Amino acid sequence: MVAPMAESLIVLEKLVKRYGTETVLDRVDLTVAPGQVLVVIGPSGSGKSTLLRCLARLEEIQHGRILIEGKLVSRGSEDTGPLPDAATLHALRNEIGMVFQSFNLFPHLTVIENVTLAPRRVMGVSSAEAEALAIELLTRVGLEDKRDAYPSRLSGGQQQRAAIARALAMRPRVMLFDEVTSALDPELVGEVLKTMRGLAERGMTMLVVTHEMGFARDVADDVIFMDHGVIVERAPPNRIFAEPAEPRTRAFLERLLERDGGSRRT
Amino acid sequence: MSDFQFGRIVEYLPDLINDAWQTLWLSVTSVTLGLVLGLVLALARLSGRKLFDWPAYAYIEFFRTTPPLVQIVWLYYGLPGLFGVDLGAFGAAAAALGLNIAAFFAEIFRAGIAGVDRTQWQAARVLGLGWTDTLRFVVLPQAARKVLPPTGTTVIYLIKGTALASAIGTPELLRVGQLVANETFRPVETLTIVAIAYFVLTYPIALAFHALERRFAADRA
Repeated sequence: MVAPMAESLIVLEKLVKRYGTETVLDRVDLTVAPGQVLVVIGPSGSGKSTLLRCLARLEEIQHGRILIEGKLVSRGSEDTGPLPDAATLHALRNEIGMVFQSFNLFPHLTVIENVTLAPRRVMGVSSAEAEALAIELLTRVGLEDKRDAYPSRLSGGQQQRAAIARALAMRPRVMLFDEVTSALDPELVGEVLKTMRGLAERGMTMLVVTHEMGFARDVADDVIFMDHGVIVERAPPNRIFAEPAEPRTRAFLERLLERDGGSRRT
Repeated sequence: MSDFQFGRIVEYLPDLINDAWQTLWLSVTSVTLGLVLGLVLALARLSGRKLFDWPAYAYIEFFRTTPPLVQIVWLYYGLPGLFGVDLGAFGAAAAALGLNIAAFFAEIFRAGIAGVDRTQWQAARVLGLGWTDTLRFVVLPQAARKVLPPTGTTVIYLIKGTALASAIGTPELLRVGQLVANETFRPVETLTIVAIAYFVLTYPIALAFHALERRFAADRA
């Protein structure tokens, strides 16, 4: 076992996640350095979304450990050993932001209310301060004119950008994107990817589960290929797309290229 | 059968109005108790913990399946004998009706809260919102919209149900109506006036719930 690296923002050690008897993540190891953008690809059911959900602590893990900034935040429920302490969890509760495929905006709140709710309630920021931050973020994602609209009045792309602004309002150190463009009409995908590129350029640490290979090629520091609950291969995009080391990666990429006809651009 | 004659009943109108207030007050007390307890029971049932879920389940089924009239009698005659607690006629009626209606509210609220998509809880969780804040700012406002129509119906049902309090002598509309009917020998007219009084009490509540529904719906238009 390698000693925990001080420079790693996130460390996953031997993560095992099961639903009943089905093993969804099978001893997954992963390290993420600050500022890294990792794109996770793989067939459906390969465990990529579950990986993000475990990191966001939406799922319990059966074995393994999750460390953020070297501090334990999650431990396998069937393991023994120290549990994360409450103070650490409290201190790190805002470290990870997540954006979902289905946006999950709060439908009864306006865009700006969606963005300001958590800063006000969780961080105790004043309404004025929360609004100022929200307006700054909404401007960054190009939604300043939609601040008082309800989510149902927005296009899918606008809703997803609002969801990104909402997550950023908690000033997370890591952003998780779980197939955030998969539910969008094709013409709306670009605006969301553009927002994500902007975020990467600002140095945000990101884990992105996506089928957008153009995004992976341009933005990712590393691409991770997952299959059947394991990380099969991790490599920089130019290498993994040009000459994948593993046959399974190659087979997956070939199928993807056939489907898209190589024409999909972002 | 003679024609309707309302003449003599007019003398009793001040009594009827006074007791309409009693009915209203009884309703307000028991609805308030029922709403608060109903929400607690619904959350207990949804907690996923047997320690909370099972007692709530037992409570709800017990109060849903036994007659409210009997529950009133238990509290009025039973409590003083068993526990030395005397709530008085109004107190016993308000408590019994509140405890009873709580079981119905609990089932309505449970369905409403469970009907809010799980992804809303997850979105709140990754933002760091705690259970109470998630409930208060995210889930309950969305559940409220779904539960308004059945809640309104249940409130109206309860207001008319307050007539059961007459069984233990609580002054309220129906009881006074019966007394007036006995004195005037005009039961049909008297009870018609009583019915109108119930309508005057309940219809604004129906309107208020419709208005609330529209307001909640407008939020998302």
